Amino acid sequence: MSNLLSVEKLTMKFGGLIAIDNLSFDAKKNQITSIIGPNGAGKTTVFNCLTGFYKPTTGQMYLHQADNKVSLRKYTDFKIAHVAKVARTFQNIRLFPAMSVLENLLVAQHNELMIASGYSLYGLLNLKSYRDKEQLAVNKAKYWLDIIGLTHRADDNAGDLPYGDQRKLEIVRAMCIEPKLLCLDEPAAGLNPKESAELNKLLKFIKTEKKTGILLIEHDMSVVMGISDHVVVLNYGKKIFEGTAEQTKKSKEVIEAYLGVDE
Amino acid sequence: MQKQDIIKSFKDSLFTGLIALALFGPIVGLRTASKGEGLFITPQWGVVFLLVGLCILGRFLININSARRTEFKIFSTLSSKFSSITEDKAKHFAITGILFAVVFPFLPFTDRYFMDVAIMILTYIMLGWGLNIVVGLAGLLDLGYVAFYAVGAYSYALIATTFGWSFWICLPLAGLFAAFFGILLGFPVLRLRGDYLAIVTLGFGEIIRIILINWYEVTNGPDGITGIPRPSFFGLPFKRSPDEGEMSFHTFFGLEYSTMHRIIFLYYLILVLALITNYFTLKIRKLPVGRAWEALREDEIACKSLGVNPTNTKLTAFAIGAMFGGFAGSFFATRQAFISPESFTFIESAIIVAIVVLGGMGSQTGVVLASIFLIGITEIFRDLEQYRMIAFGGAMVLIMVFKPKGILANRKPTILMHGDKK
Repeated sequence: MSNLLSVEKLTMKFGGLIAIDNLSFDAKKNQITSIIGPNGAGKTTVFNCLTGFYKPTTGQMYLHQADNKVSLRKYTDFKIAHVAKVARTFQNIRLFPAMSVLENLLVAQHNELMIASGYSLYGLLNLKSYRDKEQLAVNKAKYWLDIIGLTHRADDNAGDLPYGDQRKLEIVRAMCIEPKLLCLDEPAAGLNPKESAELNKLLKFIKTEKKTGILLIEHDMSVVMGISDHVVVLNYGKKIFEGTAEQTKKSKEVIEAYLGVDE
Repeated sequence: MQKQDIIKSFKDSLFTGLIALALFGPIVGLRTASKGEGLFITPQWGVVFLLVGLCILGRFLININSARRTEFKIFSTLSSKFSSITEDKAKHFAITGILFAVVFPFLPFTDRYFMDVAIMILTYIMLGWGLNIVVGLAGLLDLGYVAFYAVGAYSYALIATTFGWSFWICLPLAGLFAAFFGILLGFPVLRLRGDYLAIVTLGFGEIIRIILINWYEVTNGPDGITGIPRPSFFGLPFKRSPDEGEMSFHTFFGLEYSTMHRIIFLYYLILVLALITNYFTLKIRKLPVGRAWEALREDEIACKSLGVNPTNTKLTAFAIGAMFGGFAGSFFATRQAFISPESFTFIESAIIVAIVVLGGMGSQTGVVLASIFLIGITEIFRDLEQYRMIAFGGAMVLIMVFKPKGILANRKPTILMHGDKK
């Protein structure tokens, strides 16, 4: 299977601290790639480099498209999501709490709607072309809400949802930008076993039905082992192991990194 | 009530009296009076004891009442009155409010003074609505909004006095100038949020005022600009004796000349301008850009992760907010016929921000209520002269005590999937 994302010799330094050290790995198309490692291993830093929040010290990140590859270094800030189509969620949920669930999903479709509304001109004139486009955006939001079973709460404030539903909403909000790569930062944090199982189902659906590659940071091993096609293990910013979930479970280096070495 | 409760509340009120004494003693008790060759202190201990006594009595009554677990009737009714105002009722309020505003000039009790106050309130409502875009929707605390008001007023005054163009050409130009200044302010503050943003905008407001004072060649400095042309009614001026071969408003309609004609026209002018601001804000809030403003207020990082361009979004909010400030400024200039930097001090910005915050951030009807309440109360207490600002402060405290989130704090979603159920 072809590559979706290649990270090549990525290094990120904060002053004297080397958060990521010469990291290289690939994520394949239509696969779930997990990045695991003990706390402080540099997982979230990798995400922040990929999604334009940090500019890596050295190294390259490429997103492979049909016939060419795009360097993610070229894009910063909001352009990662807008142009390169890399979406992400956050370790501590970042919804728009005082806005309704539906509005949250419409903000994710901001750029298309902005063009459809003629940069607000057609919208102010209330043209039919804009209203149709807006209806399409609402339909897309409804499609995703049906999948996570939150359609009945579409008009409630996102901040009023239970924690597990907020997690799911954040994931489908990221999906509304129609990403090529979806980066999830600890989506199972704080979920109970039932909610984790639902999350697994949702991620598998995104992988198989939406053909979107997923990059996952996770501590919950039931999620990682249950759905990952490929696992990358980090410790102190270095890659210490890479393989399938089964191989990872048996790897001596990984067990040492998590549990320590026998004296 | 228990005896010990009474003793306890009595002790508490004595303590209140002590604090009151410490406050009123030097402030009220020692009054300086200039007699002949110098300043002398005249003590007013009688007044101090009266005030302290009132404080003790008031505190004691409150204590006894709260011990009985009954609130003062006036407080509880006020509180429930305020909390019963929801956005649904606000709609009826809006319609009756607009109808009332339209017939207001022709009501029997309406005189020149009432009209002047109404025009002032409407100006503040318009400024509040304009600032609501920046503060209420986009969440960018702007303490220098008066700068755009000033830019609008001065652009109008300078264009109108230099080129002699009519009000209806100068008005959009003044709005454009103000919007341009909004973008000019927007650029340096793009990375700032919260307190830092507030301080820079506050500085911007002062910069504009100081430029107006010192750029004597253009702005005429502290002397201000005089002889700003009055607006005309579709080319018909409001003059007692029109020039040769020219019609004026009263001769054209065959009316007796009255200064009220112009006042009524100005009233309708600001009413229409304010309603345009309101209509525009309500519309744009439901468009993608409006939703992006609110999303930016909620979480800027999440916005970036969804591909929303924060730079453009903030700049449009600043520009549009500033534009309406500019429109209000040109109205101010044409109404006063004279402007000077005196009119654009920080207190104006503070009042507008207070109106937006007390009204309930982002609520259009809230701005109206807060403007009427704050400006109205200071007008009612005008006889108290310098002490009327106490009434202003008191009004703010009352709102914050009973409605800490503002008079109307409920936000209605901009789009509904299931229709309006309520």
